[in-house]
Amino acid sequence: MATRAQTQPKPPAHKWGMVIDLDRCTGCQACVIACQAENNVPINDEKSFLDGRVIEWIRVERYWEGDFPDVKARFLPVLCQHCDNAPCESVCPVYATYHNNEGLNVQVYNRCVGTRFCGNNCPYHARLFNYWEPVWPEDLRNQLNPDVTVRTRGIMEKCSFCIQRIRRATRGGKKVEDQAFNPACVQACPTDAMTFGDLLNEDSRVSRMWEDERAYRVLEALGTNPSVKYLKQVDADA
Amino acid sequence: MGNTLIKIAVPVIGLAAALVIALVGYFVVQSWWSQPPAVLGFGDGPTQPIAFPHTVHVTTAGLDCQFCHRTVSTDEAAGVPAVAQCRFCHDFTRITGEQSESPTAEAEIAKLIGDLIEGPDPVNWARVHRLPDHVQFVHAPHIQQGFSCSTCHGDIASMEVVEQVRNLKMRDCVDCHRNNEAPTDCTTCHY
Repeated sequence: MATRAQTQPKPPAHKWGMVIDLDRCTGCQACVIACQAENNVPINDEKSFLDGRVIEWIRVERYWEGDFPDVKARFLPVLCQHCDNAPCESVCPVYATYHNNEGLNVQVYNRCVGTRFCGNNCPYHARLFNYWEPVWPEDLRNQLNPDVTVRTRGIMEKCSFCIQRIRRATRGGKKVEDQAFNPACVQACPTDAMTFGDLLNEDSRVSRMWEDERAYRVLEALGTNPSVKYLKQVDADA
Repeated sequence: MGNTLIKIAVPVIGLAAALVIALVGYFVVQSWWSQPPAVLGFGDGPTQPIAFPHTVHVTTAGLDCQFCHRTVSTDEAAGVPAVAQCRFCHDFTRITGEQSESPTAEAEIAKLIGDLIEGPDPVNWARVHRLPDHVQFVHAPHIQQGFSCSTCHGDIASMEVVEQVRNLKMRDCVDCHRNNEAPTDCTTCHY
């Protein structure tokens, strides 16, 4: 048996964060599709929506404002907020979800026993439970992403900030340039509404937008301290 | 008379049963914890569709691992060469006469030619090294940190049939990561 060297924990190298500019979001759902393809998220049909058994790591919430014909559609893409003070983490009895030193709220699939406490405790409804074994049509089986585990029945899953891409970019302690890689949703966004990056890097695009005067967090009063900020939509006629 | 027989038989059968249970138990625990004990062919590598001898290619031909497993230092998988790459060398060695002329070797090499029009199908190699489920293992950083292939795969150069030498269970990985100050965050491997 090898001896275990005790090492001091290293200071965090990254703190991943995201800023979503709602002024730019058109609610096109490209992020939803990109995420579905990248992260082996099972395909939702009408029945799963009606049953409330949908699995989508990012969803675009739609709110109507005003009465017809003076009506405005507001869109809010909601993904796991990677809260620094995450309500989901403290209720997991098996330590399957925890905060890693890069500011990510992490889900370890092989530890999860499916109590669903975390999903219950998430104020953003960002955690999805696999009520059934995921099935893909035969001709789509070869498009599954080999870098991402296919989750089985009975475990919780959620947005990982595309950790497989983070791992690939930072492997071996490599230094990453700002915008060198992006999660699938950010990459797919046609209006560039989403920005992802390292908040510890002061020059990164996301750090500069982080302090924007339009920036707010969803359900900020809960004190969950999310790593996702939204930039408020500003109406020209307001 | 019957009583004496029972008096002898009961402890003998009992002992034999205990022994069998202990052996099976040892086998199961050992397989679960590490690798199946190398008895009755359990530790042997699988039979491959082509009896490819690493011994000849590494020792006699002097090939480096990366000559065939080309993506090992850049990608997740080390990569198994395409049949075309096997053919590239073997067409050449047949002409120069460097190729073994033993009938068994000839028969194995002939499988690379396949159908004359369609060409050979990709070889359906049997997987030798199995990791536990839910692990994303990436070769590249390990090679880039200077570990040799034999650290995990053993002395492949001397294996006629490749077999797994290290159990590659999580404890094995984590011990090595700790000793080399590599990250031990769960999401290093599990995502």
